[in-house]
Amino acid sequence: MWRGFWTLVARAARGPRSPRSCTRQGSGAPVPGSGATIFALSSGQGRCGIAVIRTSGPASGHALRSLTAPRDFPPARSACLRLLSHPRSGEPLDRALVLWFPGPQSFTGEDCAEFHVHGGPAVVSGVLQALETEAQRRQALRQLDGELGHLCRAWAKTLTKALAHVEAYIDFGEDDNLEEGVLERVDSQVRELELALSAHLRDARRGQRLRSGAHVVVAGPPNAGKSSLVNLLSRKPVSIVSPEPGTTRDVLETPVDLAGFPALLSDTAGLREGVGPVEQEGVRRARERLEQADLILAVLDASDLASPSSCNFLDTVVTPAGTGNLKENSQRLLLVLNKSDLLPRGDPDPSPNLPPHLLLSCLTGEGLDGLLEALRKELAEVCGDPSTGPLLTRARHQHHLQGCLDALGHYKQTKDLALAAEALRLARGHLGRITGGGGTDEILDIIFRDFCVGK
Amino acid sequence: MFSLRGCGLCVASSLTKNHLSLARFIGESAAPLATNFDVVVIGGGHAGTEAAAAAARCGSRTLLLTHRVDTIGQMSCNPSFGGIGKGHLMREVDALDGLCSRICDQSGVHYKVLNRRKGPAVWGLRAQIDRKLYKQNMQKEILNTPLLAVQEGAVEDLILREPEPEHTGKCRVSGVVLADGSTVHAESVVLTTGTFLRGVIVIGLETHPAGRLGDQPSIGLAQTLEKLGFVVGRLKTGTPPRIAKESVNFSILKKQTPDNPSIPFSFINETVWIKPEDQLPCYLTHTNPRVDEIVLENLHLNSHVKETTRGPRYCPSIESKVLRFPNRLHQVWLEPEGMDSDLIYPQGLSVTLPAELQEKMITCIKGLEKAKMIQPGYGVQYDYLDPRQITPSLETHLVQRLFFAGQINGTTGYEEAAAQGVIAGINASLRVKRKPPFVVSRTEGYIGVLIDDLTTLGTNEPYRMFTSRAEFRLSLRPDNADSRLTFRGYKEVGCVSQQRYERASWMKSSLEEGISVLKSIEFSSSKWKKLIPEASISIGKSLPLRALDVLKYEEVDMKLLAKAVPEPLKKYIKCRELAERLKIEATYESVLLHQQQEIKEVQQDEALQLPKDLDYLTLRDVSLSYEVREKLHFSRPETIGAASRIPGVTPAAIINLLRFVKTTQQRQMAMNELPKTDQSLCDTDRLEERQL
Repeated sequence: MWRGFWTLVARAARGPRSPRSCTRQGSGAPVPGSGATIFALSSGQGRCGIAVIRTSGPASGHALRSLTAPRDFPPARSACLRLLSHPRSGEPLDRALVLWFPGPQSFTGEDCAEFHVHGGPAVVSGVLQALETEAQRRQALRQLDGELGHLCRAWAKTLTKALAHVEAYIDFGEDDNLEEGVLERVDSQVRELELALSAHLRDARRGQRLRSGAHVVVAGPPNAGKSSLVNLLSRKPVSIVSPEPGTTRDVLETPVDLAGFPALLSDTAGLREGVGPVEQEGVRRARERLEQADLILAVLDASDLASPSSCNFLDTVVTPAGTGNLKENSQRLLLVLNKSDLLPRGDPDPSPNLPPHLLLSCLTGEGLDGLLEALRKELAEVCGDPSTGPLLTRARHQHHLQGCLDALGHYKQTKDLALAAEALRLARGHLGRITGGGGTDEILDIIFRDFCVGK
Repeated sequence: MFSLRGCGLCVASSLTKNHLSLARFIGESAAPLATNFDVVVIGGGHAGTEAAAAAARCGSRTLLLTHRVDTIGQMSCNPSFGGIGKGHLMREVDALDGLCSRICDQSGVHYKVLNRRKGPAVWGLRAQIDRKLYKQNMQKEILNTPLLAVQEGAVEDLILREPEPEHTGKCRVSGVVLADGSTVHAESVVLTTGTFLRGVIVIGLETHPAGRLGDQPSIGLAQTLEKLGFVVGRLKTGTPPRIAKESVNFSILKKQTPDNPSIPFSFINETVWIKPEDQLPCYLTHTNPRVDEIVLENLHLNSHVKETTRGPRYCPSIESKVLRFPNRLHQVWLEPEGMDSDLIYPQGLSVTLPAELQEKMITCIKGLEKAKMIQPGYGVQYDYLDPRQITPSLETHLVQRLFFAGQINGTTGYEEAAAQGVIAGINASLRVKRKPPFVVSRTEGYIGVLIDDLTTLGTNEPYRMFTSRAEFRLSLRPDNADSRLTFRGYKEVGCVSQQRYERASWMKSSLEEGISVLKSIEFSSSKWKKLIPEASISIGKSLPLRALDVLKYEEVDMKLLAKAVPEPLKKYIKCRELAERLKIEATYESVLLHQQQEIKEVQQDEALQLPKDLDYLTLRDVSLSYEVREKLHFSRPETIGAASRIPGVTPAAIINLLRFVKTTQQRQMAMNELPKTDQSLCDTDRLEERQL
């Protein structure tokens, strides 16, 4: 069950409100504000044929109306087929069965709505996203990671310039002398952009199938048993295991089902000042991967807690995450003390001064149940909030890149320059949802920088 | 040419025989007929004339105060109106029954629609205008407008009094003091003084204070405004030299002929006053490397170009063109100034070099080798008031019932001025009647885009309209300005004549009927192909095509369609405008559907009003950074939508504001419901409040 509930702050504010305040506490975190409407995926996480999203609260009717506009409002308690569209952008999300249960004759007593959507992560996240708040959208923007972010910003730059040149041709082409071939150059830029985008989307779709899921990164000093833990959790030998420190030198990824959640498990090189260049590179990659992790499984050798590498790892990785005073997007961390079988019997806790931790023996499997239960709790938190879930963020990027590509297709088809410019504006708007920018003033800046216009 | 100065009353009465009882003209030597008005408009330029006429149309007793009556309606710079974006503004001014479009239809000498090949949403109605005719026609219009009086005089000061408690603002204007010490009382005052606020003219290294050449700047008023606490900025602009027509060798230049037929600016005109064959041509020439040399060699003699006063990012003068885009040939349009004018206006050649160098520069341009310069070009530097100090109704935040319109708000162009003038005049009048303000949203018109940009973002260059500024460009077209604004103007304000309203209503219902008929006619694509062989309809589509879809093809128009399906379509080609508008509606049909959704979103944001008296600096219940608070405090956005467009106001801040608005609205709703349930209790509450 996804337990992350969040309010429809922006939407609910617009919706018709009953003056009576009806707050309802979800089973998860308390809902900020009063009279909140909650919504969640109620059919379990992961891939499935049909996913059911439920909303409950006074703004349910408004949410249903805005997602199914412009069709008429469905009658109470009967299933209707509707095209769900994003309330802001009008992007079609999915064709879905919707149900409307006006309160008080509903399962919560409040106004409720149900959306039965196709279960792919993209569709589910698309619909959930249609209900997301501006703050969450910003967070997704921040998460735009290295390579993709770089690509998107470069595309946005090209597209902004192309748009600015078309706008210049519209506003000044007749009266001022723009040099020859402005539109032809834009045409070829748009063609190149289309090729780049469609190539990327073909790749991205393949990549996403493999990678959707929470990023769980196993990290620790060398020879703490990280690879053994990965093999234990994935029930197959992913990593080569040896008693020799520094065996794992690169980041190894494997998609696994962790406590019922889709996750991408990464084994990393032990963190130490590396011996050779290859291992150093492995350590660099491990640190990089740590920064992207949704959940860190920090592994220490229970019998070797006083060693310099263990202390260093505790200071640099465990303590900063564990104290919880990181920025708002603080990382989750589970501290696991491996090799509990090496500890003397009867010793209750070898390390009372450490932050909260779990004891585990990868060798005997002792403590695995406790670890899985802890993982389940953490992943429920991670996956429950779509704005921090990697799945949603990626689906969202892919969605807007596709939207951008579709709009560029319209650019080619039209002879009416106002319509062509509109297609580019739309395309830029889609990229803008990922990278920001593209406003009128930016366009005018480019026009006046690139052309000698005005009188 | 009228010479009204000094002997105003008698000349005016000869002009205004029909409406003498309504229109009053007061010469400076004559004793004022009245000193009490609903609305007083200061300035007789393009903003002032529109403001005064709009206030009078709304039914307010209005006085137009100007330095000189004979300069009313003067086109002080270029001899043309309209263009891309600007033509859109003129259509909207006309839709509100404003003056400039109608006057242009009576005064043009070369009508041409720009961007003809780029899509009807960006067509730019434009015309070369006869300066003299325009002024004559405008003065005739102003002096014949019922309820509108005109008086000559320089305004030295504002009369201020204690503010109305139910509105924000630190005082309220109640009239003006003239240079001769006399006073005029007014319920609302509209200030449209253009570049007259501390205007300085620059030629070469010489500067002298003035508004336009030969006029007096209003220094007293500028000081008063500054004392009141208005934030003042400085801008610069320029104008080209004028050339003797007979000294130009047109025979070697490229000629541009006007459109045939001419498209009128005004919705109520079927045609313009002059036949295409009687109109005057324009000519095109170019600068050359010699022009660059003269500009670059003499930069040290050109203080206007070097000074730090903010000029626009675009290139307003030949100096900026040469400096920013060297080694290029720049266009110079040679435009006629009027039917019987001996002058040519070289558009694109704005320059502030010393006069003798200007002549030298002109004569090295093709076709101008023997040109005689009649008047040198010059630069103007002037004060403007940061437009973030006014509301979308153009009333100032600081002084109640004081409105600003035109160049004083940092804009450039006749059309931008006229657009603000209409809105200021309407709102000055509504304010007197204690009616809610008339605000055009950015989803409704370029007027809305203009005013929203100014009041929320401010400007640091002379603000000029471009179509790229409008998000909803495909909806805000020149052809449909009447359907966007005329009905609002008629119903909400009363500034639109019955005749115009009826014409707009007829057009609206005809369009709706036409579109539904076009949707109802369906044939297979092969049948359409047979009916209209000219169209590139691809056969083989299984779905039937509606006539509306066929009309979307570039090569198909209503005429062709009506020939193919005479019944019931032939009645829609009787009116040229109707046939054209049906074609345009078809062109944009599918995209507009999508845009309507976006417009609705924006309108929802606009519907969320922020309380006017909100003190952002001390507001406790909302979590906002100090930077955001300061920005909101200065711009005072009226809606969540406007707040979200202020740069630096973060989405998080908007969400916090939204929450605040939501709870305020709820509280207000609860308050409003109370009186119904328990009237007496509520009254007692209010009494107690008052006693406290």
